[in-house]
Amino acid sequence: MKKLLKKLCLAFGPTGLEHRVESLIEGEILKSMPSDAEIIRDNLGGIYLHIKNEGAPKLMLNAHMDEVGFMVTTVAENGQIKFGSVGGINPLILGAKRVIFENGVRGVILSKPIHLLSHEEREKCPKISDMLVDIGARSKEEALSLVSIGDYFTFDSDFVEMGGSQIKAKALDDRHGCCAMLSTIASLAKNNARSKYDLYFAFTTREEIGFSSAGCATEIIKPDYAIVIESKAVLDLPEISEDRCVGRLGDGALISYADGGAIMDRALTDELISVCKENNIKYQINRAVSGGNDSAPIQIGAHGTRVALISAPSRYIHSGACVVDYCDLEEICKALYAFVTRG
Amino acid sequence: MNELTNMLSELCAFPSVSGRERASREGIIALASPYFDEIREDSFGNLLLIKKSARENAPKLMLDAHFDEVGMMVSELHEGGFLSVCAIGGLDTRVLSATEVTIYGKREIYGVVSSVPPHIIGRGSASAPKMNELYIDTGYDLDTLKEIVSVGDVVEFKAGLITLENNRVVSKSLDDKACVCALITTAMLCEADKLTFDLYVTLSAQEETGKNGARLVAYEIEPDIAIITDVNFARDEGVEETDSIEIGKGAGIDISSFTNIPLTRKIMQILDRAKIPYQKICEPSRTSTNNDGVSICGKGVRTALMSIPLSSMHTPSEVVCLDDIISMSRILLEIAYTPIEELL
Repeated sequence: MKKLLKKLCLAFGPTGLEHRVESLIEGEILKSMPSDAEIIRDNLGGIYLHIKNEGAPKLMLNAHMDEVGFMVTTVAENGQIKFGSVGGINPLILGAKRVIFENGVRGVILSKPIHLLSHEEREKCPKISDMLVDIGARSKEEALSLVSIGDYFTFDSDFVEMGGSQIKAKALDDRHGCCAMLSTIASLAKNNARSKYDLYFAFTTREEIGFSSAGCATEIIKPDYAIVIESKAVLDLPEISEDRCVGRLGDGALISYADGGAIMDRALTDELISVCKENNIKYQINRAVSGGNDSAPIQIGAHGTRVALISAPSRYIHSGACVVDYCDLEEICKALYAFVTRG
Repeated sequence: MNELTNMLSELCAFPSVSGRERASREGIIALASPYFDEIREDSFGNLLLIKKSARENAPKLMLDAHFDEVGMMVSELHEGGFLSVCAIGGLDTRVLSATEVTIYGKREIYGVVSSVPPHIIGRGSASAPKMNELYIDTGYDLDTLKEIVSVGDVVEFKAGLITLENNRVVSKSLDDKACVCALITTAMLCEADKLTFDLYVTLSAQEETGKNGARLVAYEIEPDIAIITDVNFARDEGVEETDSIEIGKGAGIDISSFTNIPLTRKIMQILDRAKIPYQKICEPSRTSTNNDGVSICGKGVRTALMSIPLSSMHTPSEVVCLDDIISMSRILLEIAYTPIEELL
């Protein structure tokens, strides 16, 4: 699974341009798809696997394929590139970071030397609108021969295994969720297991900009139940109180009763928790109502859906150096498999 | 160009946080020894590489570049595998978050500088973090971490060299490995029978933390002429024209009250005559490089200062153009072949 996670994280897929991730996922689905299952595609780039059980209640598992990134907005006369962010990004994680464009051109986000900063500048958070990417071009014309206005770029960041069992990469939000769903699909095939649900695995787009295609997936599938697999930003740093830390890496799958976008279905969430308890799956309850994700559009999609949220506690998300604990990802996979295959 | 890129990449990868430059001693000796006659080191961590002229009793030309780089030092270990650090050299806390680092403990381990995602940061907290609000995340539990890392261990940016368009390269530590690369290239190219000087190439320690290495080694050498080489600000957005030189347009010659003006003028005349391009940069008072200390060391030294333009100084992604490194080598070679009488 780690190999697959690496491939998924390294794939280029900022919001609006998820097709590379989608074809990677399709390839994986085809490896373990039951013969009577069906692949569905929506108008916004989403791909769903339907493992049929006619007449049974419909359960949709959901993860989003897109990642935060950047778009070229203008090019200065000297060939340096102005850009906007695609998705929410803290400007403090951008200075002096390397980036890569869709066509493989590489660049670096320039940072004014500390020696030349005024006292005020040193104290202030920089603005993305003041930042420039250097690709080495010597003029506007040369830059525009290499990249175009409207081109996307992402963090140029390796997949690194660090410490005991942690992983650092870009796009872990939410490629780990895609990976968990693919691992569940593979486990079902390997064990020839049946689900009591009419099962849908929905890989959707555009989560990071807030107008997600997950709502459209809900309209197409009309599920009775949905479980969203996401990244939950945690702040389990030294000297941060328990109520502010949200959750902790290594303490297991993070289950939320509520977050900044939705109040989850109590019964479904409790059921997910009891499945974890019965199967000795390590889990923790989200300690803060913060952030939002596809649980919100899914809950109010179609006729309304009973929704639960299971997350990987994640540090530094929306940066080129997100960190998760691989053990937590494994617990999520176990929880999903146990939930869909229980009697 | 590939050879130059490889050498620069190797130089930048050497661990060399100020005060811990010795960690790279063997590596740098292996890299440089084919091009020098003698290599010495001193108690402070300076490395002296000597290339002799074919002539007897040739005057001494010191060429200095500092070998150290900015970094951090571990100040505290925390539960959860986090480290607090202090800065070694000038660091901008606004670019440290999400930076990858190597921690030089009992063995090298990987770490990431912490950041706060927009989901949690909330409104109204958009100020630069203080150094003590940033942590290095190692992924180890505290007990394991204690076995590997101690207070006082150094932390270095982990940011290998990549190539952009037009021979530009990005790496940590290009300040001042770009100049180290230029000096070794100069020694590599020069022919002993054309040399009018004995070359004393100094790879000096602790420039970023007090500029003391170069003056100590200059005191030992007592050079007839010293040329200090360092990086200078590239003319990027937000950088004043007077503070900067243009990337890719050749090395800069600094004109400052702390450099020897007659020597500097002679050098420019020689370059003009030989039609070798360079850029001028004016620093009316101090230069804030090794030049200032070397010029007043011992009985006083005639110094000139040369620069390579560099973007994003003191970050893991400094940018230089290889053409400017070649330009610096070419200029230094020209000087090393010029009789001392024409320079004084």
